[in-house]
Amino acid sequence: MKVLFVIGAVLLAVAGGRALASEQCISQPGQLELGAALPKARAAINDRKELEVVALGSSSTQGYGASTPFHSYPAALLRTLQRDLPGVKVTVINKGIGGQDVTQMLDRLERDVFAVEPDIVVWQVGTNAALRAQSVAEFRRLLAGGIERMHAKGIEVVLMTPQFAPAFNALENEQDYLAAMSEVAREEGVGVFPRYEIMKYWFETEQMPYARFIARDGLHMNDFGYMCIGRLLAEALEGAIRR
Amino acid sequence: MSAATDASSAPGEAEERIAAAPAQRSRRDLRLDFFRGVALWFIFLDHIPDNAASWFTVRNYGFSDATETFVFISGYAAVVAYSRVLLQRGWPIAAAQVLRRVWQLYVAHIMLFVAFTAQIAWVALRTDRTTFIEQMNLIGLVQEPTRVIVETALLRFRPVNLDILPLYIVILATFAFALPAVRRAPWIACAGSALVYLLARRFEWNLPAYPEGKTWYFDPFMWQLAFYFGAACAADGRVGERLRPYARILTPAAITYVVLAGVIALSWQFNPLARLVPDWLGRLIYPIDKTTLDPLRAAHFLALAYLAQRVVSPEARFLRWPIVGPVRRCGEHSLLVFCLGTFLSFSAQVWIDAVGGSLAAQFAASVAGIALLTAAAYVAAWYKKGQGAGTSAAR
Repeated sequence: MKVLFVIGAVLLAVAGGRALASEQCISQPGQLELGAALPKARAAINDRKELEVVALGSSSTQGYGASTPFHSYPAALLRTLQRDLPGVKVTVINKGIGGQDVTQMLDRLERDVFAVEPDIVVWQVGTNAALRAQSVAEFRRLLAGGIERMHAKGIEVVLMTPQFAPAFNALENEQDYLAAMSEVAREEGVGVFPRYEIMKYWFETEQMPYARFIARDGLHMNDFGYMCIGRLLAEALEGAIRR
Repeated sequence: MSAATDASSAPGEAEERIAAAPAQRSRRDLRLDFFRGVALWFIFLDHIPDNAASWFTVRNYGFSDATETFVFISGYAAVVAYSRVLLQRGWPIAAAQVLRRVWQLYVAHIMLFVAFTAQIAWVALRTDRTTFIEQMNLIGLVQEPTRVIVETALLRFRPVNLDILPLYIVILATFAFALPAVRRAPWIACAGSALVYLLARRFEWNLPAYPEGKTWYFDPFMWQLAFYFGAACAADGRVGERLRPYARILTPAAITYVVLAGVIALSWQFNPLARLVPDWLGRLIYPIDKTTLDPLRAAHFLALAYLAQRVVSPEARFLRWPIVGPVRRCGEHSLLVFCLGTFLSFSAQVWIDAVGGSLAAQFAASVAGIALLTAAAYVAAWYKKGQGAGTSAAR
């Protein structure tokens, strides 16, 4: 019985500490600078009072692991943009399909992106390529090709890097995919939203446990993770638009 | 509760009157009530978001959670409940009774949907916080009410936390047809179930949900395995004895696996522990998907179930302790307690939020909710007692 009480007390203490975890979404200074301006989005806001975003990606865009679509990152992005851009008609269209890698996303660019004619595409990509061990060279080539196709249609692209999650971090060469993404972004002159680095900062510096922002499957984000990524992305986009 | 009540076996509710090893003894296996009661309490606690009291539930200490326990015991209890009818009155009658139970579950689910949705709508109206409508996945009801009513009736549209009953309904419907096979050759039936599981994994089978493109949160093609495994254990009736000769290997293996899974699960909570998990292990185990009942989850539940039956015999003294009474009562009236628990978990969420979300509020709401569930179970038992004395013969 005594043992049970001790275990109970420890649990209570732990639960107490966890329960008081802050609801705030934090990032390191500089992490919200995308590295490229968004002049066309800026013009759309100023001239048309409109901003249309397509969230292209896989399960983390779709919202797998969130309790409802309301808790997906594009939904949080939309709410934040709407709050911060009064008088502007903001739309965020979720084009995330779980399990897809770059190749499959490129196959639906025509239908899911060009047909919509958005101002910005947030392209969340890389996790499935890494999990399936797609060759980094191939990944880089496809990524660059996709960006160029979107640029040709006058669409501004922002890349979103993979999530900092046990399943991704356990890979042998996950850093290669992250490096490829920032290199391609630099070469193509597009912005990068460093989801991986932001979440790594939560884990390493802020001492948040995985369970705070990752679902119990060890791969996808949970409600809190999605909400924060959506809000921080909104902040980053607004910064790039204002620039 | 008593042997006499079990023998009367009112068909619809027969499932909740469990007798161990049907047709041989009619002694109720108290372990089923106990573990099902515990699972129901855990489900209630886990359904309250950011609830510190959910630190007491299994999901923090391993891969599987209360869902596996609930589905497994449902399968076990189904065999116990309908075996006698099958043996004495034949398959058509037994199947009819199972299907009647399916109908009762369906009615319960629709009732729960109405009550749950009404509660959310009421809160949204009272507080002007329409975000609850979205947060609980009811936005479809606002945007496309006509369509959503149809989808609800088809079990394709569901608010948050209303996923388990539809799963149970679909599986139990198949059980009406599988019952004879499960009785005659439990392990062949279980192998068939495992084959469906494997095929479903291979070809990514799942049932469609609403809105278009969605699928079921608990994939029935996968989760049926937990149910039919429970059913096979019940139909076999001597699994524990059969496994005893291998205890020297099985027990240490099960303990090792449960401890390892516990370490991994705790590593999601404690960063120093997370850094100790080697990459090769991470590559091996992740992701541990719930929708598809990941094999690691299934194995974790197997290990837990094996250890539980080793440690807790049907005659275990603690099962009869008065303090355990409330848990067992809740396990006996699982459908009622499940529905009420789902309803109250949202009440608790709103209340905790309204009073500022303090730790004390989380525990207060958790304790109050469990007290209400228990009270409801005792009231249900009281009703049933009256019914058993008066009208059960007529049913």
